[in-house]
Amino acid sequence: MTHTPSRRTALAAGLVATAVIAVAGCSGATRDTAGGARTADAATLDLTPTTAPATGELAHANWLLEDEPDSLDLDTQGSSAGRIVLTNVCERLYQLQPDMSTKPLLAEKAETPDDKTLVLTLRSGVTFHDGTPMTADDVLWSLKRHADPDMEQGDEFGNIATMRKTGDRQITLTFKTPDAMFFKALAGDAGIVWNKEQVEKAGKDFGTPGQPDACTGPYRLAGWKSGDSITIERHDGYWGKKPLTKRVTFRWASDSALVNALTTGAADGTYAESPNTASALRGKKGIAQYYGPSTASLVLIPTERGGLADPRIRRALSLALDRKGIAASGYGGMVQPWATPVGSGAWGYEKPVFEAAQKAVTGAPAAPDAKDIAAARELVKEAGADGSGPIVIGTDAGQGRTVVANAVRAALRKIGLQGRIKTVPTSQFEQFYSTPEARADIDVLVGDWYISKADPMGFYDNALSDSSNNWAGFKDPAYDARVKKALATLDDAERAKLAVGIQKTFTDAAVWIPVAQVPSVLVLDEELTGPPASMAYLYYPWAAELGSKKG
Amino acid sequence: MLARISRRLAGLLATLLAASFVIFAAVYAAPGDPAVFLAGGRDKLSPEKLELVRAQYHLDEPLVVQYGRWLGDCLQFDLGRSFKYSDQVADLLAARFPTTLALVAYATVLFVVLGVGAGVLAAVRRGTWVDSAVVGGTTLAASVPSFVSAIALAAVFGVQLGWFPVTGGGEGFTGTVHHLTLPALSLALGALALISRVTRQSMVDAGAADHVEVARASGVREREIVVRHVLRNALGPIVTMCGLVMAGMLAGTVVVETAFGLSGIGSLLVGAINTHDFPVAQAVLLLMVTGYIVVTTLVDLVHPLLDPRVKEATA
Repeated sequence: MTHTPSRRTALAAGLVATAVIAVAGCSGATRDTAGGARTADAATLDLTPTTAPATGELAHANWLLEDEPDSLDLDTQGSSAGRIVLTNVCERLYQLQPDMSTKPLLAEKAETPDDKTLVLTLRSGVTFHDGTPMTADDVLWSLKRHADPDMEQGDEFGNIATMRKTGDRQITLTFKTPDAMFFKALAGDAGIVWNKEQVEKAGKDFGTPGQPDACTGPYRLAGWKSGDSITIERHDGYWGKKPLTKRVTFRWASDSALVNALTTGAADGTYAESPNTASALRGKKGIAQYYGPSTASLVLIPTERGGLADPRIRRALSLALDRKGIAASGYGGMVQPWATPVGSGAWGYEKPVFEAAQKAVTGAPAAPDAKDIAAARELVKEAGADGSGPIVIGTDAGQGRTVVANAVRAALRKIGLQGRIKTVPTSQFEQFYSTPEARADIDVLVGDWYISKADPMGFYDNALSDSSNNWAGFKDPAYDARVKKALATLDDAERAKLAVGIQKTFTDAAVWIPVAQVPSVLVLDEELTGPPASMAYLYYPWAAELGSKKG
Repeated sequence: MLARISRRLAGLLATLLAASFVIFAAVYAAPGDPAVFLAGGRDKLSPEKLELVRAQYHLDEPLVVQYGRWLGDCLQFDLGRSFKYSDQVADLLAARFPTTLALVAYATVLFVVLGVGAGVLAAVRRGTWVDSAVVGGTTLAASVPSFVSAIALAAVFGVQLGWFPVTGGGEGFTGTVHHLTLPALSLALGALALISRVTRQSMVDAGAADHVEVARASGVREREIVVRHVLRNALGPIVTMCGLVMAGMLAGTVVVETAFGLSGIGSLLVGAINTHDFPVAQAVLLLMVTGYIVVTTLVDLVHPLLDPRVKEATA
């Protein structure tokens, strides 16, 4: 299950982009004594999943989102803005931990009598925010709602054969084929337990301003003033540990407004979704930044047009690409040159195995040296590319993507190929992902990707022969068989071994060309601490751990 | 009189109808596919899923049919539900319109008071350094685009001096005024030069009239001449221009709203256009067009009251 971070940029995107640069310049000159300190060195970014635990209570925190949530019904509209709020209000059957591992939560116990059966025993004594107890009926109803093909998580339930209530506190699911990813999905939006009565009562208005939430969780939704703010409040009847922060008010702003609000202390914190925002806030007085693992990455995706159809050309491009340069000049050092297509946040188990395997990938150097270039030129010669027309690089006018596109063109030139950049408006950019016709005149897309599950296998199915995301038509029956086997392997250690092999095939063939991993960035008032810095903030009640350093 | 009013109303409705169709067609023609935004995540973008979404939202029907559907609902006071937000369009507008209205009202007060004031000052002190300073200063102000002034104002008065908040709309009257001062100022700056120029020229023209000379010759105090004879006669063009500028602002708050993190209808519109949220884009644009028509009609109606000569001409 993959998701795109919603990046709905303004009509005035160009203007605003200029504005951000301008503001960075203005305030930088007045606040920063060391001008050069703003650019982080990607290699030294220390990714830690958590921040130091808070000790002091906090009456009220102001939090910023990059956009107003579309809806607080994550089944119909699953945007990250809504998730950042709701993850404190709604709990799931499993829970993603700050270190990206998962464990049962509303399901107290999860047993697999065989590979095709999952028996969930529900936690007792859990009540919804309206005071009614959570029942097995609520859970079953919620799972069926998620499974509706029209809902956001519908595709997670493709392998489910039956879902039944088998006891007062027990739900039994059976699978058509064993599905390792489903356990991860239960820690995501597919595992949310709704209060059936509340959701049905709200009907079509569920998740819109003025409606109560329908969840169990440390906070309850206190109010949503459309166009202004969303407030959540500590829920006194919560079954678990009492949160340190009593009330959180969410507002939204983008670009310079977001930077200004944090700089002036009008807001206490934000999870910065764009590396450039994080870069503009780096080194500001009174603000701390924490970098955590995330599954997000910058990638080059070859298209069916065929300019990069030959794997040797793709490998050559990968060898010649200056990833370090891209990180520094396109993203202020807030991304890290990376050799695999998913970020380190995907390592939710067997971390050392994946870490070693990532380091062992050789086809994607951070900064290519003479040897890399020579090898790349050799590959191009072998492929016999005659240079029949330039390779067209598709991008939008975003600052980072523009830099990547230019770096690709420079890399192509170094290996004796021509590149041409085709820029489309941001509103059109997403269409590259959906419509082959929209991609018909580009050879490679300057893209980004993230997966919602902390498991590399949540990504590698994109290169299956029949995947709609396998644009370049990579076909390898052995690869397909191994992916299917890994997806059906419930044992973590076993699956990790398979995943590493699959990853090697993928990177050797450069099905997609990895550029950099994009860490998640927590920006926080210096006096505060507690929430996780990793991508778990989308699925973990981070506000419950927010508090002051002293007290 | 009744005939005139009904003619006006009919004209207004015809304009709205024409505008709504043009707007609908324009949003429809903008690049990008609404189904892509409606479908959800990238892995949902299979052709079959997109077809389903198109059918669900009637996007597979011809433009005219979609427009007819929308118009029919509209006539029953149903603006529909937003594609992006699951909320009712009417609720979205009701929540955001006050912010934009307050912003434009505040900016109008600023540019009228400062612009007319500066124009009068320049006209009265014509040819002196005051005149040059006003003309030079306002020209400079007008040459700065509002997104630049917004950022500069926020950087200086918000971030550095900390006098004004840099995001949000504020609560209560004082809170709103406090929050909206910088956005309103950056919105008003561009209009200042225009209004002060029009005021100055209009005052100079009115000052050259015979009856002003006569009044001056008969020893009326200069202050009284300026207020009663010159400014009064010059008001027509000034009010017209102020009305037009204010009406134009209703549609031009986007950049300032973005720079100051205000959720007004400007940012709502931009989001709606980018995500092909037809119901919202259509409603916001119509609201803007209506606002424009209402303000300009009001100016037309006020004009004869200020200047009896206009009334005689139209009567």
